[in-house]
Amino acid sequence: MLEDSIKKVGYAAEYLALTAAILALWFFLDVHGDLNPVIMPSPSKVADTLGSLIGKGALWGDLLISVGRVLKGYLIAASLGIVLGILIGLSKHLERFTNLLVQLIKPIPPIAWIPLVILWFGIGESGKIFLIFLGGFFTILINVIDGIRQADPKLIEVSASMETPLLKHIFLMVIPSAAPSIFTGLRTGLSSCWMCVVAAELVSSSTGLGYLIMNARQFGRTDVVLIGMLTIGIIGKIMDSLLKVAEKSVIRWN
Amino acid sequence: MKITEIQSAKASEARQNDSYISVKNLSKYFERKGESLHVLDNISFQVKKGETVCIVGASGCGKSTLLRAIAGLDANHDGIVTVDGADVTNPAKERGMVFQEHRLFPWLTVEQNIGYALNGVSKEERRRLVHEHVKLVGLRGFEKVYPRQLSGGMAQRAGIARALVNNPSVLLLDEPFGALDTFTKISMQKELKNIQKQSHTTMILVTHDIDEAVFLADRIFVLSARPGKIKRIVPVTLPEPRDRNSYEFLEIRKTIYDEFFAEGQDLEVPKGKRKKPRISVG
Ligand SMILES: Nc1ncnc2c1ncn2[C@@H]1O[C@H](COP(=O)(O)OP(=O)(O)O)[C@@H](O)[C@H]1O
Ligand SMILES: [Mg+2]
Repeated sequence: MLEDSIKKVGYAAEYLALTAAILALWFFLDVHGDLNPVIMPSPSKVADTLGSLIGKGALWGDLLISVGRVLKGYLIAASLGIVLGILIGLSKHLERFTNLLVQLIKPIPPIAWIPLVILWFGIGESGKIFLIFLGGFFTILINVIDGIRQADPKLIEVSASMETPLLKHIFLMVIPSAAPSIFTGLRTGLSSCWMCVVAAELVSSSTGLGYLIMNARQFGRTDVVLIGMLTIGIIGKIMDSLLKVAEKSVIRWN
Repeated sequence: MKITEIQSAKASEARQNDSYISVKNLSKYFERKGESLHVLDNISFQVKKGETVCIVGASGCGKSTLLRAIAGLDANHDGIVTVDGADVTNPAKERGMVFQEHRLFPWLTVEQNIGYALNGVSKEERRRLVHEHVKLVGLRGFEKVYPRQLSGGMAQRAGIARALVNNPSVLLLDEPFGALDTFTKISMQKELKNIQKQSHTTMILVTHDIDEAVFLADRIFVLSARPGKIKRIVPVTLPEPRDRNSYEFLEIRKTIYDEFFAEGQDLEVPKGKRKKPRISVG
């Protein structure tokens, strides 16, 4: 028992060490060197600014707006990606029919879409959501297709030998077998959605964390830039952890 | 109906029961990289209703291929397979199949795996059938367990329960106990025998274990090396329960053993590379 808890403390220390070291270096440089506040503000300055941003509710507002955008784009990407991925994964014809287009569009970074998106949608909300959707969709789609393709032919044969009705075969055999891959897609898709929301807000927005960062840079407020960046990191990590929890509770059999 | 008609109907039913499973001139080739591999060569036999047939043969001689043809998993062959008078071209739930690897769905519990085989039955009926078959294969208490948590023997039992839950008229088993240790294997063989007594299922079991065949079979089909042909059919008329150490048991075992290892049999293998065929003798 004791050994176990010592081990756990050890793991926790390992987990935190690198981040703690970098923070320590920052404090050290602040005390012993002279940090240029425009290039790297001091920890205390960042903490003060964070306090006042939270106090005014400014950070919270931008955060909610960005999270809302991500969720909208992500939910569309996830539902379309999963449904289309399953259909394409199940049908060789559909796969041949869509493959070339998917392969051509997939390597284009969503950021390269920004000019076109502005032309098509203007600089309103729908353009941003579309960009976020693009960011998540292909990653999710391709992972779902792969997961379904990789189903064990021996198990498929078992299902077939029992005269299993198609829908039952899809929901009890094909989808569970692809579940790990689907979750991989959902998690990588979510992080690309975050990249896209920030990119979209950097380019054309007056709200959101991306805007917060861009706006702060123009006024030389590096402390606010840092806070915006860290907030994105933290919220991204939290959302990923939630997905991991969901994955664990869905994939109970491993 | 006239008496003669009734008689002829009865006679035809008896004929039907004598050839419940019928394989006629079955030949199979696999095309691989433009080469054609001759796996089964003009195999014909009949299996009676309720009979247990064991097919023994060295590794690679086409045992699985033959069983898959009877299951309808591979209909791409020459010749005709019929079960109960009907051509076999597709798998059907009237023919339960047990594979060497348990092939349980990892994401379903034991009871869900067994229940998966059932289609179009009511909830209560499903519960009843699953419960009954869990009991039959001695897995009570493990209903909610995932396959990963089962031992090899337990997983194989679950696979057998799944194959039986539709009350199939034919049970096809492909080296079902091949991966189990001797003790588990012997107890599973006994259980299979008991299950067969209760359900009167017609069984074809493929094995490379001669003891297993003599213990279980009413008749043993000895397959030759590839291309597989039926080299010999050995009837086993030992009284039940069969004593693996009785003189008669050992005699039959020797008969089959000699089919494989008689003088000059395994000389096809070049010298220096000579390997024993995968036949375990006890
Ligand atoms: N799908 C397949 N494609 C090509 N060759 C196959 C295929 N399945 C089996 N074979 C070949 O056919 C031969 C017989 O295989 P199999 O019936 O599995 O033998 P056994 O079950 O007696 O060990 C082997 O040489 C094997 O390599
Ligand atoms: Mg085999």
